[in-house]
Amino acid sequence: MSILTDSHKGDRVLLMGNDAFARGALEAGVNVVSGYPGTPSSEIVENLAKIAAKRRLYVEWSVNEKVALEVAAAASFARLKSMVVMKHVGVNVASDFLLHLSEYGTRGGMVLVSCEDPGALSSTNEGESRPYAKMMEFPLLEPGDFQEAKEMMKWAFELSEAINNIVMVRSVTRLSHASGNVVLGELPETGSAARFEYDGTFFDQMTGPVITVPGITDFLHQRQQGKLKKATNLFETSPFNTYDGPENPELLVITSSACNLYCREALSILALQDRVGLLKLGTTWPLPPRLLEKHLSRAEQILVMEEVQPFMEDNIKALAVELGEKIRLKRFYGKKDGTLPTTNELNPDRVIAALTKILDLDYQGSAQSYQDKADAIMLKGAPTRDLTFCPGCPHRASFWIISSALKMDNRKGFLCGDIGCYTLGILPTGFNTIKTGHAMGSGLGVAGGFGKLGMFGMNQPVMAICGDSTFFHAIIPALINAVHNQSDVILVIVDNSGTAMTGFQPHPGLNRDTFGDPAPQVDISKLCETIGAKVEICDPFDVEKTRQTLLSVMAENKGVRVVVMRQSCALSPEKKAGRMHEMVIDETLCKGDNCGCAKLCTRVFKCPGLNWDEKNQVTRIDEVICTGCGVCASICPAGALQAKPV
Amino acid sequence: MQMGGSKKLTEQVLAKDLCSACGACVDLCPYFKAYNGKVAKIFDCDLTQGRCYTLCPKTGVDFEQLSQNYFQQSYNENPLGLYRRITAAKAGEKLGTGQFQNGGAVSALITHALKTGLVQGAALTDSEGGNPVARLVSTAGEVLECASTKYMATPTIGCLNQAARDGHRNLGVVGTACQLTGVAQMRQNPLQKEGFEDPVGLTIGLFCTWSLDARKFKDLLAGKVDMETIIGMDVPPPPAEVFVIKTRKGTVKVPLNEIRAIVPKGCSVCPDMTAEWADISVGALEGNPGWNTLIIRTEKGEQLVEKAVSEGYLVLDKFAAESLEHLNLGAGNKKKRAAGNVARETQCH
Repeated sequence: MSILTDSHKGDRVLLMGNDAFARGALEAGVNVVSGYPGTPSSEIVENLAKIAAKRRLYVEWSVNEKVALEVAAAASFARLKSMVVMKHVGVNVASDFLLHLSEYGTRGGMVLVSCEDPGALSSTNEGESRPYAKMMEFPLLEPGDFQEAKEMMKWAFELSEAINNIVMVRSVTRLSHASGNVVLGELPETGSAARFEYDGTFFDQMTGPVITVPGITDFLHQRQQGKLKKATNLFETSPFNTYDGPENPELLVITSSACNLYCREALSILALQDRVGLLKLGTTWPLPPRLLEKHLSRAEQILVMEEVQPFMEDNIKALAVELGEKIRLKRFYGKKDGTLPTTNELNPDRVIAALTKILDLDYQGSAQSYQDKADAIMLKGAPTRDLTFCPGCPHRASFWIISSALKMDNRKGFLCGDIGCYTLGILPTGFNTIKTGHAMGSGLGVAGGFGKLGMFGMNQPVMAICGDSTFFHAIIPALINAVHNQSDVILVIVDNSGTAMTGFQPHPGLNRDTFGDPAPQVDISKLCETIGAKVEICDPFDVEKTRQTLLSVMAENKGVRVVVMRQSCALSPEKKAGRMHEMVIDETLCKGDNCGCAKLCTRVFKCPGLNWDEKNQVTRIDEVICTGCGVCASICPAGALQAKPV
Repeated sequence: MQMGGSKKLTEQVLAKDLCSACGACVDLCPYFKAYNGKVAKIFDCDLTQGRCYTLCPKTGVDFEQLSQNYFQQSYNENPLGLYRRITAAKAGEKLGTGQFQNGGAVSALITHALKTGLVQGAALTDSEGGNPVARLVSTAGEVLECASTKYMATPTIGCLNQAARDGHRNLGVVGTACQLTGVAQMRQNPLQKEGFEDPVGLTIGLFCTWSLDARKFKDLLAGKVDMETIIGMDVPPPPAEVFVIKTRKGTVKVPLNEIRAIVPKGCSVCPDMTAEWADISVGALEGNPGWNTLIIRTEKGEQLVEKAVSEGYLVLDKFAAESLEHLNLGAGNKKKRAAGNVARETQCH
């Protein structure tokens, strides 16, 4: 049963934004879907993979976004319709190929869905991908609600085939991961034939070789810009650009994406629908100049409401300058003048704050007394809760080992981090072990750099950590680089057999593919050995032994050494199916808050399955939360926590 | 005795590089661990009072309290501490042969103590491939394996702490001044824990003017000496100015100034040359490489010596007045140096 395939045209269903995108792609007749897991985008590929057989789709979790884009592009070159899905930082990874692809163009309709994360709810940065559309000259669409998310997908494929170039559809967390009502359309017949033609000339986009080379780049670039002009003309009459409000509003708000919903809510709360006009743009690059000329000329004050960068704001202001006398000088409000915050998500409250400031309104959201009461209750009723590893997570054990080994080694060694569940090694749940953190694969890249600084007196042991999925995504080149350039560095691969942080998707280290069918497995440790690193394989649940191994690897000082800490994720199917141990506590042995323990298990180790009983001054095991991994028993200094085999 | 917790210990000792790696704080709990000759705090303990800080010999020792506790006398400024008598001694024939330091008196005393059941086991310092390691022994053979001075600061008291936690009692300990100061404080149950049992039955101190940073020592010898072949080390009396290392492949001499450069900073604030908080303290006998100086401090120590002599494990000889004069001078100078260095350390934070 899948809402994507088992519902019919005309059905009104509650769909998560990502499912609206997926359904829209199906209604458009998509054949090939690729991507790399990344919040908030992952469900699109995941849910399409589940119904792939039904709709004759090829769906692939590629090793990284660049390869994913290339795989989808191949389908387009073979006249199929393809979609590639990623989060905003994935577009950075794919951008090299994206530049070339956009310059040459596509054949079958091709859509790039980029799901962004304003406010960095689930990212290590607050980036954006919209500027790529401008920089690399292809069209950008932004749905403003859930129905549009579905409709725009279909239209994006049509647009792509009309101009023969890639089209980007941009989403944000509050669309992708929120839900709304969607009326469904028709699912087309499946079945397309793939054929790659290449006998034509360099100038025949549909039949010639797909090559960008010097000599014809000027021609290709002009052709590309022509496509953009064609799209711009289509945008002038697009139903995705909507206007609500008086013909000559006191204030014109121009918005896009989820901000559309915030603006509607704010205008309703403030009852400003008669004074303020809302121009919601769905086609945000290129901007349709005539449409904008019409609306800009009818208002003196304009507020541009978007997340996160002033992308639309800058482009609209530039357009305003070009339109010049036709619209006269305008007063623009937005991020540049401080009306709106320049970082973080927007929400109805922030929109209300901007509107009340500009229109000088007297608005009190909630009474001060209420606010005071809420503040008073906050601390006790809603205490700050740290991000934490799951009970039974092997990373807790791995960081326990790495952190204590670095301290015992006593040479101020440090760990460079990477992206995954284990990124939480920055926080107390991972004993604040990680000391650098950037993008996918950069942990070993940076560590490899540190490992060459011995000639400048760097004598601190250098370590990097990565997960099994990160390894395939971007670590391999950094590993080869470290080996060949003889860097002195240790790579710890925390292999929990899956891409866990984003929802446990598969990757080439596993023996099954995106569909869950058997697939060839790439052996991580053998690959590291072939590259030329020294490899040790350990079980992080055997804390003492693994720590000893790590300490002796650290003592070697020279060369590239890999330590694979292999133990499957607590949420993996095999772990969820059973328990490794029954955990019990002998309260008579528990030292609790005394010298010799100081609540090590609940205060430092902090597995959610362990709770401190303040009244009886002992630790208690929460049987519902505890997964029976047994690690707490091996770190308990009193032998009070005990693991009984099941 | 000063009270404090792990945070204070880190700030006042570890962060200031004053740790001499005695091991008194090691393995009392999960937070302090020793590895490769160095002590580290591996996680944060939030207690404001703990044994770690209280036992540390570098955090303000109450000498008066120790003196009252162990000798029932007031602490005086006698450079050699309180004692009953000093004698020259060496191992008796009953001990057999071994790689002893000077007279082998320490090996003899511990071996005898084990054999008679005076102690059930002993925390000694062994060597593994040239690396000094703490070791809990219970047989004569094991004692002989630990013979000869390692010269490197080793957290041996961590082994005692672990043994105590494992339930061992009536243990012997051989250690330098800082180590036995930690032990002495521990035996007083400073945190007044209910159910505390003193695990120590006998303490034998070693004369010590300085020890060596184990890691730096290894680095110094890299290329010159294969650590695994070392069978003994010694500092011949002035004016030699060398450090002698005896290996299975021959003898290597290292200039003493290179050795002095790797003495831990913690040694510079130590006022105790002869291990004042011991039942018996043992050191070299000036001018007599085959003999030891024996300082007998307690009744227990006296009885052990008498018995060991009567059963052929120990041989005594007269201790010359001139030797006493030199010993007092050496010990007194160490106290003076320490006083100056402590003043300097406590002035500049």
